[in-house]
Amino acid sequence: MDNVEKIIGSRTEICSQVPPLAQNTDEEGGCGVTGFICSIPVTGKNIFEPSVQMHNRGNGKGGGIGAVGFVPEALGVSRQILDDDYMLHIALLDASASAEIEDTYIKPYFKIDKAEKLATIDDHRSIGLDVRPPDIMRYFVRVKEDVLDKFIADNNFSSLTRRDAEDEFLYQNSFKINTHYYASLGEKRAFVMSHGRNMMILKIVGYAENVVRYYKLDDFKAHVWLAHQRYPTRGRVWHPGGCHPFSALNEALVHNGDFANYQAINEYLRQRSYYPLFLTDTEEAALLLDLWSRVYKYPLEYVIEAMAPTSEMDFDMLPAEKQELYKAIQTHHVGASPDGPWFFIIAKNDVQNNQFQLIGITDTAMLRPQVFALQEGEVQIGLICSEKQAIDATLISLCREDARFGPIADKYWNARGGSHTDGGAFIFSLQDTQNGKKLICSDKFGKVIQTPQDKVVCDVTKKITATEEFKQIEDKLGTLFAERDAQAATQNIFTYVRDSVGGFTPDALRFCIETIADYARKKDDCKQIAINALTILNDRRYNTGSIKRSSLQHVLKISLDEIFNATPLITETSNSRFSQIDFDSRDQLREPQNNEKTLVINAEHFEPEGDNCDAVMIVKAFKLGWKRFIVYKYRGQRFTGCGFGPGTPDVRIDIYGASGDYIASGIDGMEIYIHGNAQDQLCQIMKEGKLVVFGDVGQTFMYGAKGGSAYIMGNAAGRPLINAVGKPRVVINGTALDYLAESFMAGDPLKGGGFVILNGIGFDDSDGSIREYDSPYPGSNIFSLASGGAIYVRDPQKKLVDEQLNGGEFAAITDADWDLILPYLEENENLFGIKIERLLTVAGNVRTPQAVYRKIIPKKATAHVVEDDDGLEE
Amino acid sequence: MKPSTVKIKKMPSRFKHQVPKYKVVRSSACISCGTCAKACPYGVHERTEGHNKVKPPIDYKCIGFECKNNDFYCVAKCPRKALSLTLNPMYETLGDYRWTADMITATWIMAETGYPPERKDLEYNTGNSGGGFDKLRLKFPAGRPKVDKFEISTEIPLNRRNDGRAEIVISTPVYGGGMSFGSVSLPTMVSKARNATIWNTFTCTGEGGYPEVLEPYDNHVITQVATGLFGVREETIQRVKIIEFKYAQGAKPGLGGHLLGEKNTASVARMREAVKGTSLFSPFPFHSVYSIEDHKKHIDWIKEINPHALVSVKVSTPNDVDMVAVGSYYAGAHIIHIDGGYGGTGAAPDIAKKNIAMPIEYAITKVHNFLRDEGARDAITLIASGGIRTAHDLVKAICLGADGAVIGTAEMVSLECVRCGNCESGRGCARGIASTDSELADLFNEEWATQRLTNMYHAWNIQLVEILQKLGMKSVRELVGRTDLLEHIDYSK
Repeated sequence: MDNVEKIIGSRTEICSQVPPLAQNTDEEGGCGVTGFICSIPVTGKNIFEPSVQMHNRGNGKGGGIGAVGFVPEALGVSRQILDDDYMLHIALLDASASAEIEDTYIKPYFKIDKAEKLATIDDHRSIGLDVRPPDIMRYFVRVKEDVLDKFIADNNFSSLTRRDAEDEFLYQNSFKINTHYYASLGEKRAFVMSHGRNMMILKIVGYAENVVRYYKLDDFKAHVWLAHQRYPTRGRVWHPGGCHPFSALNEALVHNGDFANYQAINEYLRQRSYYPLFLTDTEEAALLLDLWSRVYKYPLEYVIEAMAPTSEMDFDMLPAEKQELYKAIQTHHVGASPDGPWFFIIAKNDVQNNQFQLIGITDTAMLRPQVFALQEGEVQIGLICSEKQAIDATLISLCREDARFGPIADKYWNARGGSHTDGGAFIFSLQDTQNGKKLICSDKFGKVIQTPQDKVVCDVTKKITATEEFKQIEDKLGTLFAERDAQAATQNIFTYVRDSVGGFTPDALRFCIETIADYARKKDDCKQIAINALTILNDRRYNTGSIKRSSLQHVLKISLDEIFNATPLITETSNSRFSQIDFDSRDQLREPQNNEKTLVINAEHFEPEGDNCDAVMIVKAFKLGWKRFIVYKYRGQRFTGCGFGPGTPDVRIDIYGASGDYIASGIDGMEIYIHGNAQDQLCQIMKEGKLVVFGDVGQTFMYGAKGGSAYIMGNAAGRPLINAVGKPRVVINGTALDYLAESFMAGDPLKGGGFVILNGIGFDDSDGSIREYDSPYPGSNIFSLASGGAIYVRDPQKKLVDEQLNGGEFAAITDADWDLILPYLEENENLFGIKIERLLTVAGNVRTPQAVYRKIIPKKATAHVVEDDDGLEE
Repeated sequence: MKPSTVKIKKMPSRFKHQVPKYKVVRSSACISCGTCAKACPYGVHERTEGHNKVKPPIDYKCIGFECKNNDFYCVAKCPRKALSLTLNPMYETLGDYRWTADMITATWIMAETGYPPERKDLEYNTGNSGGGFDKLRLKFPAGRPKVDKFEISTEIPLNRRNDGRAEIVISTPVYGGGMSFGSVSLPTMVSKARNATIWNTFTCTGEGGYPEVLEPYDNHVITQVATGLFGVREETIQRVKIIEFKYAQGAKPGLGGHLLGEKNTASVARMREAVKGTSLFSPFPFHSVYSIEDHKKHIDWIKEINPHALVSVKVSTPNDVDMVAVGSYYAGAHIIHIDGGYGGTGAAPDIAKKNIAMPIEYAITKVHNFLRDEGARDAITLIASGGIRTAHDLVKAICLGADGAVIGTAEMVSLECVRCGNCESGRGCARGIASTDSELADLFNEEWATQRLTNMYHAWNIQLVEILQKLGMKSVRELVGRTDLLEHIDYSK
């Protein structure tokens, strides 16, 4: 027998005691998930804000927190005990079970180095919790030597390392506790929340951030934090047994989505002596992870492949030896790979390799939203969330706590599930080095993700020290602001800063930006110019010299926020062209007076949806005569631009901050500019108008759109333009995760129909220059089932192949095609600075459009061959 | 009580010969004496003054063999024994086990007269499917209090959330299901809307746009947001009082739709904002909704566009329909509309109909009980559809736990649909109902169709009131969830 068989065999007895359980899971849908990993331990406060941001992804009926990598002093134990002992956390739903569990399941088997009841606030109702969270007993334990000896002897575990045997003992002991005090009872009495080393899981019936409050974790520090907002469909929940995170040993797993094959996985696990007890697919995921990594000892790459198998063209693109390996994994485990929409975040104490990890894995169909982010520098942080605003909220919270963090990450990206490019998973590993801990981010295949290393950060907390150079900057800006033509002035200021930034010191840059902002504050005439110039500086990609781009964006954000903040309130009478409104003054909304043209909306305290969301107020303002809007301090608010009704050609909305879902859905004529990344479901049923995104755009962009134009500076996530009809016209400069223009029905673009221009380019992180992607479209499906419209793809190397087109075919670019798309590429150049000449340049040579772009059109329906054979012929 | 706008008027068949149950034959022995025309109170025989001959019998009006006992029985009265009465062999070809020939005939009579048929030879309250509602019977316990017919209310409220949105009360617990522009003719669509207005209830546009001619009836139209998002615009959402999300259709859950290019005519394309001649697909899921919190966001979006309207969520009946319902309640829906597998016109594939979704009679109870256990039942309206053919089906659905029902086929039958099942051929509907062909669509006008629908709704309402009266109830709302008033004929003692 090998070790696997021994371990599985040793559980026969305990598995036989599991009572028959319901075959159905508690239904739950999507959820909010967020996690981050830091090179320094940070406090629980920082998981608070992102959890609040994700309220509308949960319903307050289940929240949980996971944390890994603590400071020994804070727990009152030695470093050695923290590293070596298991931290057994037992949730007591019935306080009277405590002594019984201790006497039966803990004291006889474990050497207890420390035992304590977790501190809590006095009254759970004071923070709005209806259900009192469980009391938690925490034990630092090791299995007693003689107990372990017997366990090894009884189960013939001598071929296992002693630690592996101890791990298994712990797993089985907790399983017994859960069987007897949880699964077999109608009235649940207790269960093990977590029992891994240097980690813990806490869960409540309530929003996740209340875990932090209730168990007083505000100042408690850890390297890795994880939070989950649950959305159980059932209304009455009285205990948090089914909440996330789930754990099998040294990891905490949270999950957004649900499996269609819960039963099949259940069978698979039971055949391997894993009996799920909590009736949720998330527990199954944690058990799969434990089986594959701890029992089978698969490397992480294999585990990810087993969870999210590589398929279709992605499989064909793998090197031969990988294909062989993955085929073997899939042959054995495809029955257990979760089917359906899911996204996992896993926080792990990887004791084997002496590192902490944060892992994000997305399903092969990419049906759940996911964003990854990385910030490097003196301190490093990796983040994984279901929505970008949770990342931004985390960073803002951290940067309040420690100025070494910045509010903007150096890099944001998505994973492409089950792909040959990144494997649909990214791993942040925190390793010990001589200079403390170092964070390394890699994809499934081990390819390291890095941000430019040699750049400096502007310390915005310090006062600027003036130098002689400042006078020059001041004079130059003075001349530029004197320009009468506003557009020229904006362009000139942008050009000047862009070209000078390479030579600027951090202080000189800050002085320059603040001087521009000063003009806006001092002279209303200069305000729009200053806003536009700072905005372009923020939006465009260019070489920022020795200064980090994220730091420059931070400096710009401070100045822009200051300009917006300084705008006279709606309650004041002024001669400014701008008037400001915020949540408190929203009831004072009135029609524009005097010179007022632009309504500046401080979105900070508006709700993300419902009657008190800013989108509703913007519609009211429009009805009162406002047509230009600037919205800032967004933190995920939704539906901007929705509800205006038909015919809004003169309306323009500029959006700053972390914008939310559904923006520009249903718009008919207005223009919306998103100065940053955008989220999911933008431009659904869009009819007419224009959307410009100075970054990436999320899932199902332009679903069911009928018309209008959109310009995306970066990438689109899954399913852009699905089911679009009519005449939408879109430029995507990056690429899309997959399923671009599925069921596209936009007629013939040369006769007024719609199209997508896909450029397949990105920007160099270091110098901002344009770089071609390896393939303009790595996904397996493009233009599937489309019956109309076209895709113009920049693909000079002919990387796209017929296999990717399920129902489309390549066609030659004619002059008429080029004449059609040229104006859109010109506008693209105008907006993003992406020159047509550069797009037509291949390996240093300018080529013809026909040599660079390819056109994809629907395959003409081939007539069915009528069979003459009617079966009657002799 | 019917609204004052309801006026009953006879609206005869468009066709001289429907598919009659009986054949009345007049032999050459007839001397055109006119005795039969004078005798028959049902108008089978007509003898126009000044004509030589009695007209050929209009046999669909004949009540059949039960007439033998009447002293006006024409066969007996005829002095020349020229008349004979037989079963019409053609009648057997009409209908099917679910929609029996008797049921179709009775629905035609209701649509023509406004009242349930008085003749005894039609078994029209239950079908012959061997399952579902056909196995359930109403029980009428003795000793119920006496109630005056005029005191009985058939009204039901649709908004029970008390959330400041429109307080809508419909006068009869039935409304018309979604049939898209392009799948039915424009006169059909308009007549449905006119009837909904007359009856102070609703009709639904289906997926495929909101024709401008429906504007006068906006307050009684539900506009649908379905997976293809065809024809959905902000103004269509803002025009109405109820918006329906169609997640799935009970007749074909898990299957999308596909409108062939040739059926995407200029007017269909305009309505759907598509390009003429391009094949149009409705995907099977909402691509923006893969979870319950996406669903809530979806509803929030529509609520943001129209701050007054109610939101209805139409789903089919999978095993976990109870969870779906309670999820929709928590997501902010006002109406949960569950669509079982018995329904569906000819356009749904046969393999899907009745084979995928859970039978509606199981689903209603499951959802009703689950919502009640959650404490949410009083805050949401539960509407059932998918095979509600008769007033008795409606009553049974309400007893099982629904507040009301949506009907589709029954309306079509009122317009003389014969359930030939060739709806998917689109332009070729022999009765001009499911057609966008201009000549076929002219087979009837809106006046005729509206009155037929109004009559049919009236007949149902009369039956409903009679049942409530027998049960001693003053409101249809008392009937909700009264499974004790039902028995299953296989298990009843």
